[in-house]
Amino acid sequence: MKTKAFALTSAAVLAFTVQSAFSQDKPKPPPAWHQGKPAAMAESKLAPNPGKMTETAAAEVPLGKIKLPKGFAVEVWADKLVGARAMTMNEDQSRMWIGTRGLGRVYEVSNEGGKRTHKVMAEKLTQPTSVYANGALYVFAIDKVLRYDNATRGATGQPVDMTAAFKLPPEQHHNWKYVRMGADKKLYVPFGAPCNICELPTNEYAQIRRYNPDGSGMEVIATGVRNTQGFDWHPKSGELWFTDHGRDWLGDKGPEDELNRLAKPGQNFGFPYCHANKITDPDVAKGKKDACKDVTMPVTTMGPHAAAMGIHFYTGDMFPKEYQGVAFIARKGSWNRTTKFGYDVVTVKAGADGKGAKTAPFMTGFMDPKENSFWGRPAYLAQLKDGSLLVSDEQQGVIYRVSYSAPAKNK
Amino acid sequence: MLLRAGGRWALLAALFISNAVAQVPGKAKACAACHGEDGNSSISGTPSIAGQPRIFLENYLIMTREGVRGSEVMQVLLKGVPDAEIIALSNHYAGLKASPLSGSVDRNLFERGRGIAARSRCGSCHLPNYVGRQQMPRLAGQREEFLAEVMLQYRYNRRRGGDTMMSAALYGIPETDFPALAHYFSRLK
Repeated sequence: MKTKAFALTSAAVLAFTVQSAFSQDKPKPPPAWHQGKPAAMAESKLAPNPGKMTETAAAEVPLGKIKLPKGFAVEVWADKLVGARAMTMNEDQSRMWIGTRGLGRVYEVSNEGGKRTHKVMAEKLTQPTSVYANGALYVFAIDKVLRYDNATRGATGQPVDMTAAFKLPPEQHHNWKYVRMGADKKLYVPFGAPCNICELPTNEYAQIRRYNPDGSGMEVIATGVRNTQGFDWHPKSGELWFTDHGRDWLGDKGPEDELNRLAKPGQNFGFPYCHANKITDPDVAKGKKDACKDVTMPVTTMGPHAAAMGIHFYTGDMFPKEYQGVAFIARKGSWNRTTKFGYDVVTVKAGADGKGAKTAPFMTGFMDPKENSFWGRPAYLAQLKDGSLLVSDEQQGVIYRVSYSAPAKNK
Repeated sequence: MLLRAGGRWALLAALFISNAVAQVPGKAKACAACHGEDGNSSISGTPSIAGQPRIFLENYLIMTREGVRGSEVMQVLLKGVPDAEIIALSNHYAGLKASPLSGSVDRNLFERGRGIAARSRCGSCHLPNYVGRQQMPRLAGQREEFLAEVMLQYRYNRRRGGDTMMSAALYGIPETDFPALAHYFSRLK
């Protein structure tokens, strides 16, 4: 007994010493977490919501609580995908890949014969996401880019390590990435601001870039983007529309999240000086008279602390006509707000020029306003070939399928 | 290196031996070898786990099993442990009472730590009495040297799998303040 205790102690002490020996670098410059937290909120107990890291089976999901417009139905399409975020599929939709954040996994789902099975295809990564394009699966972690070739029927074998070519900056906060390949065959990759509010430590952050698939030809196409969590291209104009999270600790009213439209490369969306509704930042833009000069304002705001995530322009033929070209946006829901907000999927109907935007609830019931509690957090959207809409729920780790059938009398 | 490997085998042996003694949850016996029978550690560098929030324990154990968090020793111990056992372990230790070791209090250091903690608003997440909640760990009564080391790991991005919010929270707090913070938290009940 004594011997065992001694061995254990030695191991612990040694591990402790080894870790300390590594801690010799210079400390980072301080962008100050509480820079943005005003005295009035000093006693606030608001904190991010914990994620659920254990599996949820389809039968455990309270599906009956979900509300949809008339004629729409919801089912659990795939389950036990802990921490499921953005979805990407191969051409015939027989394979889907889904990344996570803290859990470090990428799942591969087989969708065959009306059934879904899955496996963990990559793991131990720092907040990975994935995007399938032209036969290859690209996995983007905060500090790593991997390409799996010949992935159409499943990503197997050793990936090509593309990390060096993409020159990813080191800060992790707000740097989980939503990645897509555009019609221009370029990879679109965001780099979030590594703080709530700060002067950027370098000019590598708060922007959206695009790269050639091999990592060459990098171009910054949007600046002043605090933390975009999703984008899609408008089906008519081909322009990039993206969500962006507003800053925290300025109270329950905002600044609101944004839905932005990139009309031309190089536009500035305001961070850190100018927020949605032309709010000049009280911390870093103090005394600046023209903080919002040359800043592109959003198509529409998405609500205070709503955590607007994935966006998908609907192009299927299952939903009623009025949904053609409409943007579906998942809002994961607030933490930096005394009354919970979001936890739903909304539609935004707007002109291709972004004018006349109208937001309406679509998929609700994940939040209980009376209890100020939630059970699900819609995160990303994908469209199946039959025109139904998939919605990932990061909290439950499941994917819902939303379908529509016209009421009988109209048939 | 040899010592470290030796320690690992001793741990595995401890796991094996303790599993022979049937107790619910079974794995708790293996935890006890380092973290103490009642979840209060008396080993330097090894944290106390009694009275930690259930969700904190659950998330920590899952991420460690997945190889994205925690020490190598913990990853080996948790390899392949199913969700159900991790849930049981988390419930078990969340329900135990944190009873910190009685160490002498350095009044100056303690008061300095109290001031830094208040200024840095550590209590907004960890609660004003620092007992933690949800995914945010209990600091009150935690081992002093462990707390100090964890803060350094966050400072130098060496806390694998840790919440980036915590790195952000430590921005701007000088490293020389960490010992005072650690002393203060460790002496709270």
